[in-house]
Amino acid sequence: ALLGKDLGALRDIVINANPAQPPLTLLVLHRLLCQRYRVLSTVHVHSSVSRVPPQLLSCLGPRHPDSHSRHMFQLGFTLIWKDVPKLQMKFSVRNMCPIDGEANVARFLFKLLAPYSSDPALATLVDSWVDAAFFQLAEGSSEERAAALRDLGSTLGRSAWLSGPELSLADVACYCCVLQSGSAPSAPASVQRWIKSCGNLGCFSHAKTLLL
Amino acid sequence: MTLNLVINTSDPPLGALLAAEHVKSVVPLSVEEGKSTRLTISDSVQFRDDNSISRYLARMAPALHLYGANIMEETEVDHWLEFSARRLSDPSSRTSALAELDKALSLRTFLVGRGLTLADLSVWAALKDNNEWSGKGGSLPHVSRWFSFLSSQLPF
Repeated sequence: ALLGKDLGALRDIVINANPAQPPLTLLVLHRLLCQRYRVLSTVHVHSSVSRVPPQLLSCLGPRHPDSHSRHMFQLGFTLIWKDVPKLQMKFSVRNMCPIDGEANVARFLFKLLAPYSSDPALATLVDSWVDAAFFQLAEGSSEERAAALRDLGSTLGRSAWLSGPELSLADVACYCCVLQSGSAPSAPASVQRWIKSCGNLGCFSHAKTLLL
Repeated sequence: MTLNLVINTSDPPLGALLAAEHVKSVVPLSVEEGKSTRLTISDSVQFRDDNSISRYLARMAPALHLYGANIMEETEVDHWLEFSARRLSDPSSRTSALAELDKALSLRTFLVGRGLTLADLSVWAALKDNNEWSGKGGSLPHVSRWFSFLSSQLPF
């Protein structure tokens, strides 16, 4: 019902990602999707990239024994390692434009797992953390990164998770971007504590093993 | 309770102001001039960037569907919000971004779904902010058509 009427057919999510920037957030969300749906996961390598590390080839887990019968699955998840400047997702191409950016794909995948908060402030807070994760922590200048780490620190000094009492997409995105940017060691104490709590969760420990 | 939006007058958040204009009949909101842009929700929650303010205002007026009507439209709106904040705002990627936008608009009246959304407001605002593209209007027929269609409706 989440995705509209035609749920009878297998819905395919196709993601083009650059192996130089593995989309850790999406790999964590893929894990969570597999706990919720029957997911047919496949990894391909496009001819535009020559060498892909083995841990990225097996990042969606072992091949499913029933993978020949598509009707047994609810969701197709195809990851193509490709030399793209920006991660791109194609889903339902007839009525939806290709979606650029790991942040936006992460928002989409998370909505398949749990509805966004119905509280406008909380939902927007999650979105603004997701933007901070990708544009400041991961891609930002050293000043922007330092400012975002300070914000993380003061928020996590007040509560266990970034957007209130429960784990949300904000935590998933910020955790992955902090790890990927290598800024964990210089982070404030409250951030270090939160990194440990995240690391204790099964879905996050997987992300760590994919870091290059 | 009336929300208070303070805008940086030297760099006004055009997309957020357009969103504010659209929701003002449903969401009590006052706009004030200041040195830095921010929308204060509570003691601990403030939004300072154009996209977060727009998202919040759209969510406060769900009946207007400014954030789209389902998960897929919401995701398309997210795509265009980032597109306008990053690709259209960066001179090095603007030319390719405009070509892509033109292609996306070739069969569409609005960017997402069948009505006005934050996608239209933020992309329109990003184009309004830099007018170098209009010289190339001839090579961007769909962008030009969509831009002038919205310009005739938007309050700017």
